[in-house]
Amino acid sequence: MSLSVAAATRLGALELDVTVDVPAGRCLALAGPSGAGKTSVLRVVAGLLRPARGRVRCGDDVWLDTERRVWRDPDARRCGYLFQDYALFPHLSAWRNVAYPLRGLSRGQRRRRALALLERFGVADLADARVGRLSGGERQRVALARTVARDPDVLLLDEPLSALDARTRAAAGRELRAVLGGASVPSLLVTHDFAEAALLGDEIAIVDGGRVLQQGSASELAASPASGFIADFTGAVVLTGTAAPGPDGLTAVALDGGGTVVSTDRREGRVAATVYPWEIALAPPDAEVAGSAQNRLVGTVGSMTAIGNRLRLTVEAGQPVLVEITAAAERTMGLTEGDRVAAVWKASATRLVDT
Amino acid sequence: MRRGTLVALAAALALAGCGGSSDAKPTITVSAASSLKRAFEACAATLPGEDVRFSFAGSDELAAQIRQGARPDLYAAANTKLPQQLASAGLLDRPVAFAGNRLVLAVPAGSRIAALDELARPGTKVVIGEPGVPVGSYTRDVLARLPAAQRKAILANVRSQEPDVLGVVGKLAHGAADAGFLYATDVVAAGSRLRAAELPARLAPHVDYGIGIVKGSNHEAQAQAFVDSLTRGRCRQAMHRAGFEPPPG
Amino acid sequence: MRRLFGVAVVAALAVALAFLALPVAALFVDVGPGELLDSLDDQASLDALALSLEVTAIALAIIVVVGTPVAWGLATRRFRGRAVVVTVLELPLVLPPAVAGIALLAAFGPDGLLGDALDSAGVQLVFQTAGVVIALVFVASPFYLRQAQAAFEALDPALLEASRTLGAGEGRTFARVACPVAFPSLLAGAALAWGRALGEFGATLIFAGSLQGVTQTAPLAIFAGFATDFAGALALSVVLVAVSAAILLGIRLVARARPAL
Repeated sequence: MSLSVAAATRLGALELDVTVDVPAGRCLALAGPSGAGKTSVLRVVAGLLRPARGRVRCGDDVWLDTERRVWRDPDARRCGYLFQDYALFPHLSAWRNVAYPLRGLSRGQRRRRALALLERFGVADLADARVGRLSGGERQRVALARTVARDPDVLLLDEPLSALDARTRAAAGRELRAVLGGASVPSLLVTHDFAEAALLGDEIAIVDGGRVLQQGSASELAASPASGFIADFTGAVVLTGTAAPGPDGLTAVALDGGGTVVSTDRREGRVAATVYPWEIALAPPDAEVAGSAQNRLVGTVGSMTAIGNRLRLTVEAGQPVLVEITAAAERTMGLTEGDRVAAVWKASATRLVDT
Repeated sequence: MRRGTLVALAAALALAGCGGSSDAKPTITVSAASSLKRAFEACAATLPGEDVRFSFAGSDELAAQIRQGARPDLYAAANTKLPQQLASAGLLDRPVAFAGNRLVLAVPAGSRIAALDELARPGTKVVIGEPGVPVGSYTRDVLARLPAAQRKAILANVRSQEPDVLGVVGKLAHGAADAGFLYATDVVAAGSRLRAAELPARLAPHVDYGIGIVKGSNHEAQAQAFVDSLTRGRCRQAMHRAGFEPPPG
Repeated sequence: MRRLFGVAVVAALAVALAFLALPVAALFVDVGPGELLDSLDDQASLDALALSLEVTAIALAIIVVVGTPVAWGLATRRFRGRAVVVTVLELPLVLPPAVAGIALLAAFGPDGLLGDALDSAGVQLVFQTAGVVIALVFVASPFYLRQAQAAFEALDPALLEASRTLGAGEGRTFARVACPVAFPSLLAGAALAWGRALGEFGATLIFAGSLQGVTQTAPLAIFAGFATDFAGALALSVVLVAVSAAILLGIRLVARARPAL
């Protein structure tokens, strides 16, 4: 039972025009900056937003067809919608929240089923608690239990991890991955974080300005971003400049703000040169360049942030270059803010894309 | 606004307030029975030397206010009992009777009711005044002179006890009630909306209006001028035109 | 200079408290406990009190049962002329009570617009307890409607949407989610409306009249008693204030006793 959505409508200043298909058992992540229209797609599927033109089909059921004037109310569509702030009913306990969508059962049956669901998500002991007293992670799990309680035909998740603190997020992410993996229905997920999309989605559709810019697996998008914006979104370093043929069959890009980088891609004119932070190494500023197929930009060390056992820092070299190195490497070099250093990486790791 | 400007403005306002009273006409306040409304307002128009402010309500309510400390300059009631009570309590100068009135049976203009015994018929909606207000007490005097069975039947038909004559007029004028007891002057004032049926002479009560200057008034001279106009001046003519009768004696 | 505003706020609070509390306190000071008990023995006072409680309870029931869905409709629906509808529903708020009474007579009185229709249906309002209830519903309902509409508008829309996506239609969402979550505000609105109804005087007097046991509510009895039996009127006033305060306090406690949302 796959899901097929097409929606075109005006949302304030934004023109939304999105068409996506999600096969049964797979999860499509809509990723992009806020205001891009991603959540609106979820709302169209759920029936909370009525587009000017659109079609929503779940399996053989047509939930919306503006041309044929078909409309099914949200309560008649079997969607499981996980809201960004969970929208748990504050006046009901956890188990009553989960039992809310269960109709046609006796009270005893509803409680048993609710408890079983809470158990599945590891929060059965919170069954009688007021939802206002629960922590963020606990609420997320109760909300998940409620979302899947009546075995919906489609799962719709709006920024499922964004309301959690960093510590809870990792564990919750793994659990959610398991839930989505085990689901036999199509899932549509919205996030502003590429890493989250990569973790939870089988495929990712980059959405910006109301449109799908590129769709593919996480590695496809990271390896071949269609534009500088997408490269930036996937976490790459993006340096803008003008490309022209260079020595040794490489393309030379004269960067805005000074400096030159070379790439094995063949492009001319205005380009964005992209590379991933973990592909960049640091070297002393006046060391020799080893080989011509190397890029080398000299600048001063800007902000430094330790993340786990890695260090993320910015090298200000005309344009900022984000570098990720191991803590051990950093200790060897003994860097502080303001030091001059060279960022070094291969020409073959440099992609040239549209700006 | 700058501080200095504010102070100057406040002073100017205060001076304006003070300066006003010495040039303007003296104001007297008169608490009077509701039935006197039309006549007294016409009367005030004939007195160029003073500004009269009225407070019309049931005579008993006005007396209670005076007992509780209100200090109008004059008090005019629809009986002489209330003014005499206030005088005995040291709150009113010796009151004088200044007009008479008749209690009548009042009905809406299109009604066919013409006599008192028709009020005893079941289903008739009767409106009277509260026991404490003069029009209500006069009504009860009339009912007390009826045979017991008739009195009981009429009382059983009473649907509302109004605090003053205006309430009774209102209920009758809107067709909400079938009959009520009012002063003849009220029916005149209501124009074509009400019709009066005279009560048999043996039942009709003696209705005398009394007025007195409230002790402690600051405008005794002007108040006295009002009373004089009522008893023998232009106000007396206004009362006559409204349908009031001259005082006894 | 910075402190000046804080001081002014405290001073204003003290003045307001004194001004509002003084007349009520004066009532209690003027009446001795003996007189209070005597007045409670008076049949007219008891009738007035009982009638007041009865008619305000009925009026409030009507206002809440009919008004809550109306407020929901106003809060959730956008339609042409909505502003006009809201204004019309709030009109009794700004009508002087006497005007309200006259308006009710003009509509439902024997000579009024619906007078004949009501008569043929055998419905009597003027001079009847039912008329008092009508007058109370008319003057007090805007107090509830405004508060209830604001309460529903303040609800987190995500809660209502979540209910819909979980398979509940609008009716079930209204009853199982909107009303329970908005309950404290709805209760406050009901208390406000009840207070207004309890004190209603002008419209009741003009539309329904004043007769002990039938239409003479406590305020009307106090007014009638003021002229002839001041001590009795005072005593009844004290009892009325005490009953009102008790009910308002009770409502506040009920609202607070609900689990924190």
